Amino acid sequence: MDSRLTIAGRELAGLRAEKTILLAIGIQLFIAMFSSFLVVGLVSMYDPGALDGAEIEVAAAGDAVDDLERAAGDVPGASVTPYDDAGAARSAFERNAADAVVVATRTEDGRVSAAVTAPDSTVETTVIVVQLREMLRTYELNERDSRASYLEESPLPLPDRSDTSPYFTFTYTVLIPLLVFLPVFISGSLVVDSITEERDQGTMELLRVAPVTIAEIVDGKAAAAIGIAPAQALLWLLLLEANGTSVANVGPILALMTALTTLVVAVAVGVAAVAPDRRAAQLLYSVAVLVLFGGATAMAGGPANAVARLAIDSADATTGVLVVTYAAIAAAAYLGVRRVVAVEGFAR
Amino acid sequence: MTDRLRRVGRRLAVGVRRVLRVARWETARASGGVDRRTLAAGIALLLVAGGVVGVGVATGVAGLDVDRDVYRVGVDAESPYAEAIEEAPSLRPVPGGTASLGDSTDAVVVTVVRPGAGDDGAIDAADVDEVVVRATDTRKGEAAAASVREAVEARNERVLRAEPNRTAAFPVTVTLRYVGRTTGFDDGATLGGSDGGSTGDSDGDGGDESASGGTVTDADGSGSGTDAEETGSDGSSATDSEADTGSDGSPGDDTTAGRTDGTDGDGSTTGGTDGTDGDGSTTEGVDSTDDGADADDGFAVPSIGGGAFGANTVGSPGSITPPFPFTSLLLAFAFLVPMNFLIQAYGSSILDERTNRRGEPLLVTPLSPAEIVAGKTLPYAAAAAVVTSLIALLVGGGALSVIAVAPVAATFLGATFVGAMFARSFKELTFVTVGVSVLLTTYAFVPAIFTNVTPVALVSPLTLVVFDLQGKAVSAGEVLFSTAPMAVGAALLFGLGLGVYREEDMFSQKPVTRKFLDALAVRLAPVSAGGGLLDRDRLRGLGSVAFLTACTIPFVFVAELLAVAVLFALPVTVSIPVLLVTIAFIEEVAKSVGLYAGFERGVFERTDGVGVGDADAGDADVGDGDAGDAGVGDGDGSLRVALAVGIASGTGFFLAEKATAVVQAVGLTDLFLGRAAFADVAGLSGLPPLALAALFFAPLVLHVTATTVASVGASRGRTAYAVALTLATLGHAAYNVGVVSLG
Repeated sequence: MDSRLTIAGRELAGLRAEKTILLAIGIQLFIAMFSSFLVVGLVSMYDPGALDGAEIEVAAAGDAVDDLERAAGDVPGASVTPYDDAGAARSAFERNAADAVVVATRTEDGRVSAAVTAPDSTVETTVIVVQLREMLRTYELNERDSRASYLEESPLPLPDRSDTSPYFTFTYTVLIPLLVFLPVFISGSLVVDSITEERDQGTMELLRVAPVTIAEIVDGKAAAAIGIAPAQALLWLLLLEANGTSVANVGPILALMTALTTLVVAVAVGVAAVAPDRRAAQLLYSVAVLVLFGGATAMAGGPANAVARLAIDSADATTGVLVVTYAAIAAAAYLGVRRVVAVEGFAR
Repeated sequence: MTDRLRRVGRRLAVGVRRVLRVARWETARASGGVDRRTLAAGIALLLVAGGVVGVGVATGVAGLDVDRDVYRVGVDAESPYAEAIEEAPSLRPVPGGTASLGDSTDAVVVTVVRPGAGDDGAIDAADVDEVVVRATDTRKGEAAAASVREAVEARNERVLRAEPNRTAAFPVTVTLRYVGRTTGFDDGATLGGSDGGSTGDSDGDGGDESASGGTVTDADGSGSGTDAEETGSDGSSATDSEADTGSDGSPGDDTTAGRTDGTDGDGSTTGGTDGTDGDGSTTEGVDSTDDGADADDGFAVPSIGGGAFGANTVGSPGSITPPFPFTSLLLAFAFLVPMNFLIQAYGSSILDERTNRRGEPLLVTPLSPAEIVAGKTLPYAAAAAVVTSLIALLVGGGALSVIAVAPVAATFLGATFVGAMFARSFKELTFVTVGVSVLLTTYAFVPAIFTNVTPVALVSPLTLVVFDLQGKAVSAGEVLFSTAPMAVGAALLFGLGLGVYREEDMFSQKPVTRKFLDALAVRLAPVSAGGGLLDRDRLRGLGSVAFLTACTIPFVFVAELLAVAVLFALPVTVSIPVLLVTIAFIEEVAKSVGLYAGFERGVFERTDGVGVGDADAGDADVGDGDAGDAGVGDGDGSLRVALAVGIASGTGFFLAEKATAVVQAVGLTDLFLGRAAFADVAGLSGLPPLALAALFFAPLVLHVTATTVASVGASRGRTAYAVALTLATLGHAAYNVGVVSLG
């Protein structure tokens, strides 16, 4: 046991000396900030309600303009000004008095045709179009309601609108899983490098001469890599907590991510043992992890979803079972790889 | 003269032959490194994964719903809402009887049923009088309630799509067109999209540039996406950037309709020499409305036909999609993915040379370091070119895509080269590689998101790819603006790395910072304390300082842009001051770090001898005749050197910055944050000439003063440098605040 701790300690000392772990945390911080930037940017483009004072002014004309006005009343941030005819509405648009033009006319077959004109190529276009869509959908709902008796199956009444920020769902379903899983990949990559480097420099031979078994070497290296992963994840979760995002079930999340780290480290040890050099090993490792994680995320109850549900406090018994299952798979994989490597040794 | 030319030509030929020889050797080694077993294992892994995911998708188990079951909603099993909740991936129904709000559920659906209804056992939609969603008083509860509303809306859409009475189910049809404000508005452009049948309603409004016809998004599936793209590129090939092609891809009336429209648009373009023809012909099939509801999640979002925003949409209100080049962006991202694998192999190859002194034999050959590096890089650059071309073929990009991706690939390789030259171990290299990938990917990808929104997007070459995929024509100037800075950046990175491609740096375990200083100092010519003011050697030394500082400009801009992007999320009251200080700091570091390297490595004379104990400080001093007598001086000489290099560096930076005032031309200053970042070049019009001149030279004075302060600090050692740098940053930031508040 002692020799494993020594090896693990040596691994960590190496990381500390090169300050690589700081670089790793810096990279993670950058990714987190940038994905937040992206989402804040996109959300403000797509959900004008999230922007304060995103008011659009619509110039309307046509014989169905009254209903349109009524619909606009239900949509926050949209107001309709009726004009006598389409030409007047358009000149208002040209004068910048209105953001968009809607000409709503009733056709012979009983439908309403809305010709919408939105400005071309401006930053606001997206916001305007999103608001227009909201307004016209409300209009459609109203129209549909008045014709409900003609429908074979009537639509369900909608509950009231509620204010919410799409950023909330993003934080729990994308940001937290991302932050929790980045250290997992980093740990696996570290193990690949550590083993291939020892072989490349010839220090693996020295280690072999020392009174340690291959299994102990693997254990020591794995312990260091697996140990630093939950620490980083905990750091992120605490940072989020300090930032006002409460994360539930921290313990199970860390257990799940430790299990996954063990699994990924097992893959890394296996790859490093088989591949001829670092280049091949890293390539194979990237592909393997991409495949493993991509595949797992695509499945129902994948690890990303499990973390999201744990963090948002919507976990149930199945999530618990899932965590235990991942732990079991990881343990089995690690022990299996360790056994094979102990018997076969590292490739020459 | 001809003799000379011939000699140069021969030397060039020899160089090329050498580079090719190294490249051949590298290729042989690389393909030996990734042996067949590794390749087979990799392919087997991919196949297994593909199979598993394929089966998963086929059986419906798989799906990229990261938000699956995140909200728990209490609903009675017999309630008509149960089905809607069940169908929404993000919602998990909890039986109403057992649900308690806040504990086991986040929201509860309560229905008020009409009296008398439900006597027959079943409650259906018509029986519901009112519905209320009670949610917990948390952000999660609010989000859950909003999701319930969305789920009900989605369920209604699904039911109505099966409705035989189309008029009642979708009573509103919408025709959406985009019009530029500056241009005239043609009254002929009446409503398209009338009812059933295929009433094409076309309008040719001559001279109306922006009212361009485009795609119809009320179509599901990728079929129409491709169709639209096809027509889009047709338009651009017709030599007219505003080529308006009206394409129609509604699945009801199959592709032939779209084709016809497309041809129509083409014809009118060639005819319309006096202007451009907006051909907004739209055809609406009877069932196009119901498919229109699909458009949200379909593939048809991106294609923004011929003109910039020229997408005309017809359909139910739900089918309106805001102009956002989603698919083009995703496809553009596909170009970046292989780079990550490529730089892994490349970085390994470079670092391999450095471990166990493997690269030494190559260094002692007559090959120059530049030839070795070029030879080693060539196979990877070629691989990047091949992969990029293949991807371009696959996703339907043209030569423009390949040209645009080339500098990105070069920068990936250049940054990895520098990283591999500086890294001390494989582990360090891994993080450097990841760092390079993350930084460059975000730098290339994020601006491209704003492709159709603002011209700033052109700072990323990926924006060109998006344009190319959309079939939009770009001018040569735009291509140059977009690709040149990145290409220059890549060249500078290779130059930086080449500086330490020498024995004493390659095989030693120096910290990254010291290697970085080495790499900078290599590019400097010595400046001595003594000697005449306008000595030839001295001028050469100062010139090298100015040049080195000027070379930092691309990196300064990148750093500033990243700072703007990262601080964007903060409120303006916080972000602007932080930004001003950050920018001042970035610029001050850029101007003085080369000077610090010069003093530390003894290229510039430093009489008090702080830090000259360095191993390689000696060789720079050797060639310097005046070194001896300056040592007797009282530090006055070193102050003079510090002042001289400070002024040279500040001037170099100022000149380079002014040369890049081109930034203004693309309207980066439109953004408020951008204005703060590039304050020096904005808002100069409308001032008297004297003030203008003062404003023009104020930055010069600022740069020179601040850099001189930092330079004096740098000449006194590390601590003094840190203090002086802080002072310079604060002074610079104060100036920035002044400029912003004036502007």
